[in-house]
Amino acid sequence: MIWEVFRQEKTGGYHAHCGNVHAPDREMAKQFAAIQHGRRKPTNSLWVVPREEIGEIDTEDVAFGGTTDKSYRWATAYNTTGEDAVEVVESEDEQATAERQRGDD
Amino acid sequence: MDLDTVKTRAGPREFSPADDLPQEYREAATRMIEFHANSEIMGAYLERPFIRQAPSIDRKLAFSAKVQDEIGHGQLLYRAAESLGVKTREEMLEDLANGDGKFLNCFHYPLKSWVEIPMISFFVDGAAMRRQATLRRTSWEPYAHAMDKVCFEEGFHVKHGEDILKELMTGSRKEQEMTQEAFEEWWPRIIQFFGPTDDKSTHHDFAASVGLKQQSNDELRDAFLDQYIPKARKHGLEIPDEPRIRERDDGTYAVEEGDLDWDEFFTIAKNDYEPGLGQINGRKQAQDAVQWVRDTIEGDATTAGGHAPQAAD
Amino acid sequence: MSLESPTELDARERDALETLLKRLADDEFVLAERYTEWQVQAPSLESDLALANNAQDELGHARLWYDVLEDLGFEEQELIYERDPADFRHTTLVERSFEEGDWADAVLRSYLYDAAEELRLEALEDSAYPKIADRVGKIQSEEAYHLEHAQNWVERLAEGEEGHERLQDALDRLFPHALTLFEPVDREVERDIVDLGLRDATLEELGEEWLSIVVPYLESLELELPVSAQVDDDTFEITEEMLPEERGRDGSHTDAWFDLHDELTHTYRDLGRSETTKIMEKPE
Repeated sequence: MIWEVFRQEKTGGYHAHCGNVHAPDREMAKQFAAIQHGRRKPTNSLWVVPREEIGEIDTEDVAFGGTTDKSYRWATAYNTTGEDAVEVVESEDEQATAERQRGDD
Repeated sequence: MDLDTVKTRAGPREFSPADDLPQEYREAATRMIEFHANSEIMGAYLERPFIRQAPSIDRKLAFSAKVQDEIGHGQLLYRAAESLGVKTREEMLEDLANGDGKFLNCFHYPLKSWVEIPMISFFVDGAAMRRQATLRRTSWEPYAHAMDKVCFEEGFHVKHGEDILKELMTGSRKEQEMTQEAFEEWWPRIIQFFGPTDDKSTHHDFAASVGLKQQSNDELRDAFLDQYIPKARKHGLEIPDEPRIRERDDGTYAVEEGDLDWDEFFTIAKNDYEPGLGQINGRKQAQDAVQWVRDTIEGDATTAGGHAPQAAD
Repeated sequence: MSLESPTELDARERDALETLLKRLADDEFVLAERYTEWQVQAPSLESDLALANNAQDELGHARLWYDVLEDLGFEEQELIYERDPADFRHTTLVERSFEEGDWADAVLRSYLYDAAEELRLEALEDSAYPKIADRVGKIQSEEAYHLEHAQNWVERLAEGEEGHERLQDALDRLFPHALTLFEPVDREVERDIVDLGLRDATLEELGEEWLSIVVPYLESLELELPVSAQVDDDTFEITEEMLPEERGRDGSHTDAWFDLHDELTHTYRDLGRSETTKIMEKPE
């Protein structure tokens, strides 16, 4: 049975997919994953998930984010007056980055 | 983990579902996040009629997207709350419907006209964003993760809200007057968004001591006034005489709290305010009306997962 | 014959183009308007997000079609906010209000509409009006998700007793109105639309093809059609007596539409506006 492994590098971070292990059950999968995926890279926590439980939908199935203009849902579409709150500016920057990344695909 | 250990360790994103946390922590965190999640839903409920009433296609699109985002935030937050193992999402939504769930004061008031939209979408959302930005450092990791995504999206809401305000305040005289009137009505409520002053707040001390809350009501309220009073003035809004606002020597602002209606605030906090009750019941009716759909699909195993609290391992 | 430039159209071409575009735009606009009713009212938070998304897609498509109409000299306020509601050309299928909690109506309406929309867009892929042909692709890829979404829901609801019953009720009510999807605004203009190559299938052809898809599908879920559209094994036909009194396409509408138009123009009128706000740049 194949288990997909997700690693969190440090407390508070996100678990990101880092590989997989073959194991007969969850207990063994955790033990194997600890060695195989937690040994070298900084690790605070690992998740193991049965591969067969994972559903996938990809760009062949759906156009993520749509294909028509959705700029109305981005902060970058709006001009404001005067100085914006720092958290608004941060949000807009994050959105601008995400927009650029989408465009790069 | 005992409470003292929690207090010692309480740093940003310190605790996750893998930690064995004391019941006091779990309950306090659940109460706080559930309140936040409920507020997203009730805010969306209040605004939804204005998707229809938006005065252009682009505004309608933006407003629909905004309401959709708020429901998405509710989804994230209920999950963050659920992961504490105290209540399921179903229970929280049920409590919200039957009047036991608590939510923000501003969403108990009726929203009657498009000119009121910036009061929510700019000022209240701006206030919420001030608070949410600090919550990215909360000690409950799933809550902090939810805040990452909420803050990512929320900049659009505030900027769109400001864009609507700008349009109204540069529109006809009638629009400007109606907007000023709405502002006067909403301004005290908006300030009360941050709750009573710290010495009157019941839950603050504990939440702060275990790292759930990162800034006090007073700090947040002052930070809001410093940012949004200049904004309001830039758009030509006049700040009402009451509640009195004091400008400190360093140019920051403080509000005279005695000028605010705290009786109304606490009536609202108990879900006893008439218009708010109407909104709670209206949403309940809508939720009940689609119970049959949830019943139909719940037989399907793939939709399970919301039935039992997901307690920590 | 050149349909390259909107300024060089003769009256007949212009009429055909305007008629075609109003059907397209009004259908999408009014459907989106109804879908948004489900925001904050859907059966779960996840299904709420999904239908809101479809609403925005449809509204975005309406925006694209209204924008082509702007080439003919119209402006947004004339096309929506100041337009006589009796001049709207959408099918009556999309204007009907939802009864609270009637999710079966929402997903079945979506299925009936999206199945027709798929065929209609196919017939526009090679439209002689370049701007129409250019926009079809973008719209199709979003519509594909809508159709799947609708079918997923219809199939799940059909499995439950209450769901099945509600679907049947919705079908009884909606089916005659769905047939108006294929009604002409004006027979002569409709002929021109095809003759000019704006669309390469007639409404009759589209209607029959649609029936040949939706009838077996609905029957496979043990849903009964309120009227028989089947001539023989694989021939279907829409006849006059199957249609409802209001056809939408000719400007006759149910009361629900007039109420809806009144609500959606409320702010515009209340504030005394004379133009609409644009946030996005004009579509290419």
